[in-house]
Amino acid sequence: MSAGSSRVALFSRGQVFLLGGLALVPLLDFVLPSVQLSAQMRTVIVFAILGLGLNIVVGWTGLLNLGIGAFMAIGAYAFGIATCEIYPFQIGFWPGILLAGAVGALAGFLLGAPTLRLRGDYLAIVTLGFGEIVQDALKNLEPITKGTQGINPLPTPWLPLPELFGTVSNETPVRWFYLYLAILAVVVYLARNLEFSRLGRQLFAVREDELAARCMAIEPDKAKLKAFAMGAALAAMAGAMFASLLSSTGEPANYDFQVSILALCIVIVGGIGSITGVLVGAIVMVGLSNVVLPNLTQALQRNGIGSTGSVFSSPDNYKYLIFGLALVLMMRYRPDGIIHSRKAVRK
Amino acid sequence: MTDTEVFLQQVIYGLSNGMIIALVALGYTMVYGIVELINFAHGDVFTLGGFLALTIVGGLGAAAVLDMNTLGETSNWMLLFGLVVGAGLFCGGLNVAIDKVVYKPLRRAPKLTQLVAAIGVSFILVNIALFWGGVPMDALGGGNAAAAPKDFPEILEGTNLLGEESNVVLRLEDVAIFAITVPLMIGLTLFVKKTRLGRGMRATAQNPIAAKLMGIDTDRVISATFLIGGFLGGAASVMWSVYNNTISFQMGFRAGMDAFTAAVLGGIGSMPGAMLGGILIGLIRAMSDQYIETQWTNVVVFGVLILILVFRPSGLLGLKQREKV
Amino acid sequence: MSAPLISVQRVTMRFGGLTAVKDVSVDVMRGSITAVIGPNGAGKTTLFNAITGVYEPTEGAVQVSGRDPRRALTGGVVAGALGTGLATGLGLAVLVRVETIWEKSILELYKFQQAFPWGTSLKAFVETLFGGGFIGTWLPILLGLALGTVGRLVIWSRTRRTPDVVASAGVARTFQNIRLFPELSLVENVVVGMDRRLSSGMLGGLLRLPGAVGERSAARGDAMRLLEFVGLADKAETAAGNLPYGHQRRLEIARALASKPDVILLDEPAAGMNPTETVDLMRLIKSIRDAGTTVVLIEHHMRVVMGISDRIAVLQYGEKIAEGTPDQIKNDPRCIEAYLGKEDLG
Repeated sequence: MSAGSSRVALFSRGQVFLLGGLALVPLLDFVLPSVQLSAQMRTVIVFAILGLGLNIVVGWTGLLNLGIGAFMAIGAYAFGIATCEIYPFQIGFWPGILLAGAVGALAGFLLGAPTLRLRGDYLAIVTLGFGEIVQDALKNLEPITKGTQGINPLPTPWLPLPELFGTVSNETPVRWFYLYLAILAVVVYLARNLEFSRLGRQLFAVREDELAARCMAIEPDKAKLKAFAMGAALAAMAGAMFASLLSSTGEPANYDFQVSILALCIVIVGGIGSITGVLVGAIVMVGLSNVVLPNLTQALQRNGIGSTGSVFSSPDNYKYLIFGLALVLMMRYRPDGIIHSRKAVRK
Repeated sequence: MTDTEVFLQQVIYGLSNGMIIALVALGYTMVYGIVELINFAHGDVFTLGGFLALTIVGGLGAAAVLDMNTLGETSNWMLLFGLVVGAGLFCGGLNVAIDKVVYKPLRRAPKLTQLVAAIGVSFILVNIALFWGGVPMDALGGGNAAAAPKDFPEILEGTNLLGEESNVVLRLEDVAIFAITVPLMIGLTLFVKKTRLGRGMRATAQNPIAAKLMGIDTDRVISATFLIGGFLGGAASVMWSVYNNTISFQMGFRAGMDAFTAAVLGGIGSMPGAMLGGILIGLIRAMSDQYIETQWTNVVVFGVLILILVFRPSGLLGLKQREKV
Repeated sequence: MSAPLISVQRVTMRFGGLTAVKDVSVDVMRGSITAVIGPNGAGKTTLFNAITGVYEPTEGAVQVSGRDPRRALTGGVVAGALGTGLATGLGLAVLVRVETIWEKSILELYKFQQAFPWGTSLKAFVETLFGGGFIGTWLPILLGLALGTVGRLVIWSRTRRTPDVVASAGVARTFQNIRLFPELSLVENVVVGMDRRLSSGMLGGLLRLPGAVGERSAARGDAMRLLEFVGLADKAETAAGNLPYGHQRRLEIARALASKPDVILLDEPAAGMNPTETVDLMRLIKSIRDAGTTVVLIEHHMRVVMGISDRIAVLQYGEKIAEGTPDQIKNDPRCIEAYLGKEDLG
């Protein structure tokens, strides 16, 4: 791995492999037309970005955040309010994404500030609570957020020179997929730069031994706040991208504890601390729950299974069980995740 | 109702709910104190306790018996205590089993690994509750649909103990909660202070290696902790189901959140802290429901939590952790 | 006589009922090797912690290069606190009535697909925000102002003399129970150690700006040179947690030297070393001093202490019972009795 040498490659071999592999996914659309893989992979990309944000907080800085869904929600709603035609702002797709990131960063800073002195487990509970109250707040502030209806319709990504590149919409999922893939590549690039930068080193030092880091003139409080802000910003942008995908923010419950845990699993199952690991984790976890399981259910139903009333016969009812078993087995037998990172957490 | 009466009523609600939360919080805090693990699955063990209770009631054909004329009879109290003990033992046993199968092999693993494993167990139990709910229990009403909440029958008479005229309502259920939780808490405190096993628990919580060297069977102590913690959860679950007249496969989530918050508020690992935290949360929720708005109660609770943690990062009764340099 | 580099002035450390250090005064001269010795529990590490900012002295003071390293109460700090207060106050005022404010400034004025009157909206926003009467507007503002300002000042006052402030003043240290960054490589450990000399910021790092990239190369180069200095260059890329014990101690020293400190505090550097390693260590410490860094060390190995120290201070039960050159200490009856037993030294 090139991490040891002085010059750091733009992307690691694993990342090139994965991003390149993802770029080839639309070819599978010809093989499996009913599955519409490239359309569904857009969600994978959104969650990969979410995972990359969480990775900075949990994997690199060692801060236990169980409520990243809250920042995703904040980003989605910031995007929604700023771009939907039911409000006067209507700033457009790209400014909307950037605004979501900025609002997310602010929210991350605000949540992080009072929690700097907290021990790991206390921080976990607080972030968990934060996830809940953001949901509640979004649901309650109906005049602003439209409560459980969500804010819609929302703009699709905008490309310059429509004569040359065309427009992006649900009619052109492949184009949309490639655009999101490009965004993902940029995020991976930035994350990788962070990994090898001075700030990145400070984050690792704070994770490994906060007191020792302090004795080296590093200020852990500042580092933690930056980590919170960056993680939240990425999560918020993922939320905005997600909202654009649905052309709606959806209801606040879409960003609940299950999303936070999904993100945590993406980071941990993929390989905590590793960017490549997060990519793998997103493909595996989201692929499983959004692609494999529903299609399996549909396929089974078409063949007559799963249509009886019994609770045991619908594969969808096994969702939690499979998820839970996968987690327990992974932690038991391969706790470092699929991709081992040199910068894994040992605490 | 006068303002005082409104206030008193909320105090009653707050204390009743708070005691239940305190019981669940005790389960979390005891386990945390001894193995430093947030047992995410505790809330779902709690859920299964409620389901067991409902199944027992259904199985006994009690629905037919529990009509208005017999509520409040001695046999109902016996049923209640029976359910508490039954669900308690079931949950305690389940907790011990989970520890032996999942947590024990991971005792030396990093905290995050243990936490994720606990989350995994939580999901498995949620699914079990889902399946359990799908098994026809329609003898007692409530939907057949697996995910729908089910009705839990009134076991105790609902009349106002303060008299028909009083605006403030105090029911047998409120009394029952106290009748069950207070002895449990006192018993637990005495147990931990006076018995050998209790001393072993305290020693293991403070320094597991030293405890082992002193000849304490730390495995047995840990199992006992899980057993007791689970028992408390089961007892709480029965009280919760009776009080709220419903169970659902997700009831553990809300109860879990409240209990977490209570345990942290009081100082995680501290038993008096969990009791104090539970009562506080119950009261705060009741006051917020009444004087602010129910929809903002969760936010209020969270706000209080943050405020307290900012000034006392280890919780109200938590011990300040001094780092050894 | 030149001023001491570190001046410990009547420092007392009390923890609840326990007095770990009592009225200790020591001066460390620039360019010297000073040793602090004493039986276990004498308060040596506690003294180090008080010097480096891990603890705040219960009584007394520590000066580094003639100054007490402490964040100063500048106008900037006060302004920052007031700013925080103001932001908190306004934020609270908005939050408490956010729905009404939204209604008045956005919802009522927005007609679908027509131009939006931004000026009117802004006016309505300000009017509504400040029109909530005492409970709706002024109470939240005052509360937030108070909380924010006081809170910020309290936090500031509690963190005036944290270890990073002392470290910025040119003090580096190692730890009794080695505290490396186990998952990071040797090079990375050392580069973290030199953080106070680096200046690249978040933006430079994220965008891979030439300044940040150049600084990283230079830092790695310096780190490799330090690793060579302590003899660990061949293992530069292994994880620090995988090193054998003796090598870990050397890495800690390299990491402490990385920030080019004025003084380095070594806490039991020779612990667990065999005689050959001890001789190497003595040579290393001397070359550190010769290169211009003052050394203070806590040590139990008498050979090391007597062999390289210029001055020795002896602690027992938290008090300083003697101070002087190695010869003076060797022959001081109090030290012999208290610490060394009745045997001969050296």
